[in-house]
Amino acid sequence: MRFFTVLGIIFYALVLIIVGLGLIGFSLMFSMETSPIQPQDINNMLMYFQSNTSARIIVFLSGILLILISMSFAQIILGRFQRERTIAFKTGSGEVTVSLSAIEDLIKRLTGIMPEIKELRPHVVATKKGIVVDLRVVLRSEANIPELTARLQEITRSKIQEVLGIEEQIIIGIHIVKIISLEDKKKKESQSYEPPIPFGGYSR
Amino acid sequence: MTNQDARTDLGLIRIHRNVIASISSLAAMEVEGVKRVGSDLAGKVFSFFGKTIAHSIKVEFDKNDEVRIDIPLIIKYGYNIPEVSSKVQENIRTALDKMSNLTIKDINISVRGIEHGGQE
Repeated sequence: MRFFTVLGIIFYALVLIIVGLGLIGFSLMFSMETSPIQPQDINNMLMYFQSNTSARIIVFLSGILLILISMSFAQIILGRFQRERTIAFKTGSGEVTVSLSAIEDLIKRLTGIMPEIKELRPHVVATKKGIVVDLRVVLRSEANIPELTARLQEITRSKIQEVLGIEEQIIIGIHIVKIISLEDKKKKESQSYEPPIPFGGYSR
Repeated sequence: MTNQDARTDLGLIRIHRNVIASISSLAAMEVEGVKRVGSDLAGKVFSFFGKTIAHSIKVEFDKNDEVRIDIPLIIKYGYNIPEVSSKVQENIRTALDKMSNLTIKDINISVRGIEHGGQE
């Protein structure tokens, strides 16, 4: 698998380098009058591909081959990402893998417990050190930030340990992205209020 | 190989892997704490095409005719994941032992999500 991944990276790097060189060459060569490639040459080449059936078949097959290679590499890379985003442990009957997005779902449910939190966006990563949880929080203005963040860290840690039953280290980072004030809320409410039209309810 | 074959005096008995998947799915659903079988996206895609959720369960037979099952689960919020997973594995093993004479090698569980509907 590693061989194919390396091959894929080299392939993409080569294609991008060729495209880059082609663009640089295109911009430089056409600025000179004595350029080895003239626009007419490219036009002739395209005309040849259009007129010659076998050349068109070769171009068509090359296109399909490139699409297939791209799709297979995308699948390998996406599959690898998907595999990495799990926590696994063995039981007597087999393996249990827990998707990190499931843990993210679990953390999102904590907003119901803490009314001071308006929104919670967790990102969980499993590293060698342990489980790293990054929380992006939107708070309501009445919240006491140091007390709330300490409580949030404690609740998150205990909930993960309780649900997963693991003893690994859990590192929780909190990033407060926004604090919503009550005034903002009232302003929004007043903006959304539309005065009723007189006799608006009467119609034939 | 798509089916599990067993020869009797009267002929061949074949158990399709979808049958094993269905038994596994039903056995998993019996366990308290399991919200449903299958991932979110796969469940939606399968139901859109009118397929059952058993299609999201992977059943493989190895050279020794031993079965390996990969089953994706959504667990209810508030339940202990290792405990529920272990009960699911046991229940699937018991159900398959009871309904077929298959040798089960591994029952691998993949917890894909957590949803409301359990202990709050």
